[in-house]
Amino acid sequence: MEPIALSAEQTQSHPCKLHPQSMCPAFGSLRILSRIEGSHPVMATDTGCLYGLTFVTHFYGARKSILAPTLGSAELYSGEIVEGTRAAIEAAAREPGCRLVPVVSLCVAETAGMPEELLPRKVGDAEVVLVRVPAYAIHSHPEAKDVALEALLRRLGDREGPREARTVVVVGEVFPADQLAIDAILRRMGVEATIALPGRSIDDLQRAGRATALAPLHPFYKGVTRLYREWGASVAGGAPVGISGTYAWLKSIGALLELDPALVDQVAEEERDKAQAVLAAKSLKGARVLVTGYEGTELAYARLLVEAGAEVPYVSTSIGVDPLSLPDELWLKARGTQEVVYRKALEEDMAALDRYAPDFVLGTTPFAAAAKERGIPAMYFTNQLASRPFFLSSGMAATIGFVAETLERAGRYRDMVAFFAE
Amino acid sequence: MPPALIRDLSDTSGYWAAVWTMCAMPDVHVIADAPVGCFNLVATAVPDYTDAVPHIENMTPATITEQEVGGKGTSDKVRWTYDNLRASGALDGKQLIVISTAESEMIGADLSSVVATLGEGTRFYWSNSLSEDEWAGRDRVLRWLWEQFGAPHATGMQPVPGTVNIIGPTYGCFNSPSDLEEIKRLIVGAGGRINLVYPMEATLADTPRLAAAQVNVVMYREFGAGLAGMLGQPMLYAPFGMRETTEFVRELGRLLGTSEQAESFIAAEKRTTLRAVWDLWRGPQGDWFGTTDVGIVAGRSYTEGLARYLGDELGMKIAFASARPRRPNDPDNDTIRQMLHRRAPAFVFGSINEKIYLSEAGAKFARFFMAAFPGPTVRRAVGTPFMGYRGAVYVVQEIVNGLYDTLFNFLPVDQAYSMMRGGPPKIESAPGNLPWSLEAKAVLDEALEKLPYIPRISASRQLQMQVESLARERSLEEITPDLVREALASSGI
Repeated sequence: MEPIALSAEQTQSHPCKLHPQSMCPAFGSLRILSRIEGSHPVMATDTGCLYGLTFVTHFYGARKSILAPTLGSAELYSGEIVEGTRAAIEAAAREPGCRLVPVVSLCVAETAGMPEELLPRKVGDAEVVLVRVPAYAIHSHPEAKDVALEALLRRLGDREGPREARTVVVVGEVFPADQLAIDAILRRMGVEATIALPGRSIDDLQRAGRATALAPLHPFYKGVTRLYREWGASVAGGAPVGISGTYAWLKSIGALLELDPALVDQVAEEERDKAQAVLAAKSLKGARVLVTGYEGTELAYARLLVEAGAEVPYVSTSIGVDPLSLPDELWLKARGTQEVVYRKALEEDMAALDRYAPDFVLGTTPFAAAAKERGIPAMYFTNQLASRPFFLSSGMAATIGFVAETLERAGRYRDMVAFFAE
Repeated sequence: MPPALIRDLSDTSGYWAAVWTMCAMPDVHVIADAPVGCFNLVATAVPDYTDAVPHIENMTPATITEQEVGGKGTSDKVRWTYDNLRASGALDGKQLIVISTAESEMIGADLSSVVATLGEGTRFYWSNSLSEDEWAGRDRVLRWLWEQFGAPHATGMQPVPGTVNIIGPTYGCFNSPSDLEEIKRLIVGAGGRINLVYPMEATLADTPRLAAAQVNVVMYREFGAGLAGMLGQPMLYAPFGMRETTEFVRELGRLLGTSEQAESFIAAEKRTTLRAVWDLWRGPQGDWFGTTDVGIVAGRSYTEGLARYLGDELGMKIAFASARPRRPNDPDNDTIRQMLHRRAPAFVFGSINEKIYLSEAGAKFARFFMAAFPGPTVRRAVGTPFMGYRGAVYVVQEIVNGLYDTLFNFLPVDQAYSMMRGGPPKIESAPGNLPWSLEAKAVLDEALEKLPYIPRISASRQLQMQVESLARERSLEEITPDLVREALASSGI
């Protein structure tokens, strides 16, 4: 077995993006597609890809059996992709309670060609929805979530029924308590209902077509945003993050839905007072933090930590530059953040580790490991931050408390390095 | 005929086999001609959970994007990657190997000629990932490594008496730290010395030294015999269970000329390590073996080894056994899933796939033991072998503890506690006070027949009480078959 490495062998300050940091992009789509009740995904791909993606989906997505046609060189070169995929769709549609068969088309199938018109649109009660997510073109797993959700909404979103006034589709995978908190505060402002996507329910996807407004909480839902603009729905930018972010977001929802301005002001100000009380109770002043995950949500987390008093000189993410993330980037750069890196590579994060000597790192697994090898408290962004509240004042308290507690344990990280160096 | 369907793939591809075999050696650096996903899954996302390493460090992708797929080809990207790795110093003292992936093969990127123009000695390995599975893949990689880096430098090398190679462990071999530790112990016990553990504890530069061993022990029946065949010395497979391990130690002693030491090791093991099996066999635990059924889905070595030990030696019923790669009559995952949905055995050794099928079936009476990848599990402790004498003890110990747990879960808990949590309705009076129609009894018997033997007593009592409680609620005078079916449905049995 590999010995425990004490120092990173990676050359530092290297300008080249040699080791890109993203999960397999397609994983983002499989995660949300496998979690929908009554959804039985079919994957069109080679066995190596199928093995790896099924592995991570069974870890992070759902306890769900996954079907695929055999696509080896014999099948790919003889054009049996469609025939095989159709057979897999038929088998998936026979699963008890099946209402949706997402067909996830990956690198080799996309290279060989997967003609949508040759796949069924419906088998029995099940809608068949093609989701094209070749890793070579999608580049990051957050963006694949957007691709999948857009495909689902285009097919399933109900555009025939009456529009539901004052109903907001809140898009973004968030901690369940966050979803409840966001729903509650919007209702207090006069919103009639929220629909949280991606979620577990096909009915929610259908109903989402009738909603009046879209609120993408994360900056990579560009396809979904485009779709709602096509549908003529209002889109609220930003997210209820931190003091200023939450205040602006609530006001913007109020304006978009033409809610009672006095009531919106009252709720937004109450929430701002609560958030200020959270900051007064616990500060991260003096802590230097690098936020370097690959979930596409890093800028928002950095923003919260900066409001809490931390210094965040460097933020990196797997997603590409997009107007949706520009407000957070400008906000951060006006408050001391020196670098915001998109489509990042391990080399860039390692250079930042040298340059900024942080007190805490939230990163990918290779990068968090490198920081721990230097005795710096570090955690895997994906696992640790997704599993606690983040939005509104309640989320601020949880996130700031988590970072503060980790900083208090810093001694253990140094002791561990010392132990293994002896 | 459309292409065969795959349900929850059990075996990965030749590309994974190549990376997981080559990167086990620290003086290798691999460039994978791969899109970002094939890099992330193989180097980080999966080995995080199979081998418990934060990532595989000696691997870099050439990161195929739209341009490369769209006609440009991957040569320039591979060269760029090479140049920058070289400049960074990451290749100092390393043998560089460029590996193809399913996607690079799909776009026809044979880089043999490109690679020849990179640094001297750089090799290209065609992983044949669109056709070859991980088992054939590992076997071929090991042979290729010997051909490229071993044989040319091993001319004239003679086997040293008393020395043994262990061929097998790579990344992604379930439980290999424990099994390896036990196989080493058995070899030393039989009078041998370890020459090389290849590839996991070797360097690429060690490869020629494979020729210096008198005997080769191949850890897995799935792969590795090809390399052992090329080395030409006598070969033994790593053993499972008490009898096979005894034969292994005896044969190894004979081959090494250390029979006396081997025999005294066997005798000592029977008095010490294996005493636990003897004691459990003589004790009340052993009585359960004959009525306990087991399903096995794992690598071929594990499947055959567990079936021989648990089935032939201990007399357990083997409900089904399916090896990876599958042997001609082994059930596929679709069939295994149907079997587990219908009736799960008391114990299932398997991967996360079988664990999911048990979850789907709500099979709360079956106990699951991780015995194969895929599936996240940490197996870095060296005290949990399945192979060898210690494996024989560990496996039987796990089974007995599993039986204890199953029993515990069916002992009654005072209902006041579950009522406090809003649990099942209180059962008012003792069972046996209402008459059961013959048909109703038959329905109950049929349901109980599907349960593993151990929890049947407790489950039958529990069900009887539930049915009668339902009958009282409805003021029925007799238990009817429909009532039993209703109670069964709500109890999930």
